[in-house]
Amino acid sequence: MNGRLSRFATRVGAMSFKEALHVRRDPRTLYMALVMPVVMLLLFGYGVSFDVDHLPLAVADGDRSESSRALVRAFTASGEFDRVAEVDPARADDLFRRSRAAAVLVIPWGHARRLAAGRPAAVELLVDGSDGTTANQVLAKADAIVRAEGRRLGPAPASAPPLEVQVLTRYNPAGRSAVYLVPGLAAYLLAIAAVLLTALTVAGEWERGSMEQLFASPVGRLEIILGKLLPYLAIGLVQLLLVLAVGAAVFEVPIAGSLWLVFALGLLFLVGMLGQGLFISVVTRNQLVATQAGALSSLLPSMLLSGMLFPIENMPAPLQALSRVIPARYLVHGLRGAMLKGNGLAVLWPDLASLALFAVVIVALATARFRRRLA
Amino acid sequence: MTAARGAGWVRLAAVARKEWLQTLRDRRIVFMLVVAPLVQTVLFGYAVDFQVDQVPAAVVDGDRTPESRLHLRRLLADGTLRRAAAFESGAAALAAMDRGEVALALVLRPGFGEDLLAGRTARVQAVLDGTDPNRATVAGAAASRYFGERAAELAASRAGVEPPLRLVPRIFYNPSLRTPPYMIPGVLAMLLVVVTTIVTAMGLARERESGTLEQVLVTPVAPMELLAGKMTPFLVLGLFDVLLVLTVGTLLFDLPLRGSLPVLGAGTLLYLLTTLGIGLLISTASRTQQQAFLGGFLFVLPAVLLAGVVTPISSMPRALQLVTWLDPLRYYAELSRAVLQKGAGAAELWPQLLELAAFGIAIFGAAAARFRRELG
Amino acid sequence: MTAPAVVARDLSRRFGDFTAVDRVSFEVERGEIFGYLGANGAGKSTTIRMLTGLLAPSGGEARVAGHDVRAEPDRVKGAIGYMSQKFSLYLDLPVAENLRFFAGAQGLSGKARDARAAEVLARVGLAGREGAVTASLPGGARQRLALGCAILHRPQVLFLDEPTAGVDPLARRDFWALIRELAAGGTTAFVTTHYLDEAEYCRRIGLMVDGRLVALDTPAALKARWVPGQVLVARGRGLDAAALRRLPGVLAAEPFGAGLHVRLDPDRIGAERVAAALRGAGARELSLASAAPSLEDVFLAVVGGAAQEAAP
Repeated sequence: MNGRLSRFATRVGAMSFKEALHVRRDPRTLYMALVMPVVMLLLFGYGVSFDVDHLPLAVADGDRSESSRALVRAFTASGEFDRVAEVDPARADDLFRRSRAAAVLVIPWGHARRLAAGRPAAVELLVDGSDGTTANQVLAKADAIVRAEGRRLGPAPASAPPLEVQVLTRYNPAGRSAVYLVPGLAAYLLAIAAVLLTALTVAGEWERGSMEQLFASPVGRLEIILGKLLPYLAIGLVQLLLVLAVGAAVFEVPIAGSLWLVFALGLLFLVGMLGQGLFISVVTRNQLVATQAGALSSLLPSMLLSGMLFPIENMPAPLQALSRVIPARYLVHGLRGAMLKGNGLAVLWPDLASLALFAVVIVALATARFRRRLA
Repeated sequence: MTAARGAGWVRLAAVARKEWLQTLRDRRIVFMLVVAPLVQTVLFGYAVDFQVDQVPAAVVDGDRTPESRLHLRRLLADGTLRRAAAFESGAAALAAMDRGEVALALVLRPGFGEDLLAGRTARVQAVLDGTDPNRATVAGAAASRYFGERAAELAASRAGVEPPLRLVPRIFYNPSLRTPPYMIPGVLAMLLVVVTTIVTAMGLARERESGTLEQVLVTPVAPMELLAGKMTPFLVLGLFDVLLVLTVGTLLFDLPLRGSLPVLGAGTLLYLLTTLGIGLLISTASRTQQQAFLGGFLFVLPAVLLAGVVTPISSMPRALQLVTWLDPLRYYAELSRAVLQKGAGAAELWPQLLELAAFGIAIFGAAAARFRRELG
Repeated sequence: MTAPAVVARDLSRRFGDFTAVDRVSFEVERGEIFGYLGANGAGKSTTIRMLTGLLAPSGGEARVAGHDVRAEPDRVKGAIGYMSQKFSLYLDLPVAENLRFFAGAQGLSGKARDARAAEVLARVGLAGREGAVTASLPGGARQRLALGCAILHRPQVLFLDEPTAGVDPLARRDFWALIRELAAGGTTAFVTTHYLDEAEYCRRIGLMVDGRLVALDTPAALKARWVPGQVLVARGRGLDAAALRRLPGVLAAEPFGAGLHVRLDPDRIGAERVAAALRGAGARELSLASAAPSLEDVFLAVVGGAAQEAAP
């Protein structure tokens, strides 16, 4: 029994070693696995932010009074808006079409007079709604500015305000996008690298015919699969470490919970993704198709359906159901819980269990399909 | 001279025909070129929603008076927040937040209604899950706005004056601020670059691997004829993908088609020239399909990110904003958005068209030059 | 027009420090079948790649079909056909589409193309197989199709880079029949090959060793020069080569298969003395037959003696 086990280990080791040699021979693979995630992380960390400022604002001041100028100053003083042009309100459409302004502030004639008379003065804000995110921000920011300006102009508050809301933010009080994105990004980058690397290498082995060579040797199916998986698993774990280290060093992403838990989540997820890559390559046997299928099945779901960028609860019911079979969903949820909220096993065991289930099922499928291919 | 030029067209047509047949014969490539765009359009259309609404909220009503119930009901009625659970204690609500079940906890202490009726300051606590800053901002703003407005109303009714300043917003093009009309033109830019860049990069690498490239290079087919011929089928397929996405977008997501379709067509052609040129450029630097794929990937991922497709360019740091000027996706995303949503035409979009043309010519020229040098 | 089909003068190609082709000069006549032989890495393919315009020479000059490969590569490409060792066809396309593509690549179109494609298809024995996907053809048929694609435009010079590698002997014989037919029609064929028996079909042979052309002549002249004397094949048991080499007049005695190849100067020694010497050294069941020297003998002699020969 011991002899069989050690022979098994020897053969898996030989397969892994051969695979590791391949990786070393082609530094591009390592580049893809290790440099690209860091570059992407920096790009995403710095580049992806939904917080917009210095929005281009055009002004149509029909009043040209001290009051109207004060209002415009209130818009620009905060740094939220930059005044880009003085226009006729009728030309707003033209500005929007050229993407020169995100909004036009229209102050009608008589603004100062109405304010002086104590009558309410309405100002109009024309908003380019084609980009919903930006438009939302424009509306929220303009609303706050006008409200504050109104308080400044209005009667002094009689005494204490009648209602007050205290807002308290947990986990990420500064509201930094990077803190939110890094755990999600880890899932995204691991998924891409793991699925594509295995899909490409195994499909390449089919194309070159070296796979048949392997089958002629006494190496068993499971041994081939494990031998293929192990080196990439190692690369994947290094990748995870890199992403976490860069996240902590550059973006100050905390790891509030257990580091072991983070690794356990990452390990189970990686096995699942590598299995998915293997499965694809066993089915397609062609590099061109394997890459397209790999990209489609790893990139899109892990970006769109994992909750990495877009909350799952906002999706229609069928997509929410679909997201339940996307392992990235559990990794993103688990990582956010462990890293940002400091959650432990008590809260995160369903995520671990789901990842483990996916990994077992996909590796079993790949092995079964492998056998059938040869029969 | 005319005879020579005629032969040039014959050679180009032969390359294009061969490429077209090879592409169509491979069912799997056709699948990728047709089904992948459909899946992406539908996924992006349904999954991506920048509009934050129905944020799950936990309610801890320690007051249980008609006043507390009225304000909680009215706050939760506007759609931004959704009552997901009610708890007896704040601690229980925070535990639910740890599990990710709720993103906001509204805590009303005993005495809220009494304070309100007595004219004292009635306090509400809103605890937010800050992991998703965007959602936290919107949810927090919804709570602040609601109570701010009520406070202003109450103050005004007590003092007998109206608020002096009022903002009347008017939203152009997309008044309900739906995400799909914004997202789908971006998806179009993304999809075309993925399909055309990677497929052409790998296609040329495949010919190099199998030796057919060498076979073609000993014929009089000029590098330019070969590259142009190889591109033609993907130009056609790219245009087909545009029609496909527009059709799906219109049918499923009420994507408006307001502007000049010829301008969109011209922009698409110039954009495809660029993306195909990049694919060819990558393939001249790659020996194998695997390298070509990785090269394509390394271009596509940052290019998509910097195009302003997923997040607005204006939210990026200045340095990155400068880099986006070098991203052809940016111009195509701008152009398609302006044509589809804003009804723009050549009069407004000539700068984008010029930029795309400049990119297309420069990149295609660089690919051809590299290709020619490779033969020396 | 009596200009040679291919002229190379001091043609060289270096890759960094490595000189793949070193000042090679030769001429190939029109309608000639010219064999280009050498071990792997001797510079055969590099020479062909320069002559077909795939690779720029580092030095020297070459003219193919009267055109300078450096100055007029496009004219060269219109005048040549090329078939590489990998039969580089589009395996995923049908036979007819491969022909159609390469015809178009040569600028043929319309009726002229269709007529010529049908003619070539018949000539290479694939008429009726137009619709077959190329990947489904056996090796010999693929190779004939590759030849067909290379001759669509009636090239003056045909470059064949190991055209029969990995093809069965029967298919090789058919293929060479086609080449001889083409040569009889005036096409020049420039062939590299591994099979020395095939080289016998060539009118002249050039031998490459380490980037240099060390021998160039007809097969008969090469044999006369490099394998002089008479060749005897000795068979039997207990053959002692060393004993023979000591005899005066025996030029060489090498094991060859189960027997010995003995090369001798017929003016100084006869077959009887060789037989006697072998028997004297312990040979049993001996038989002796005279044999013609093969190109294999030439090849071994040239490669072995190249170092001394080439040294000035």
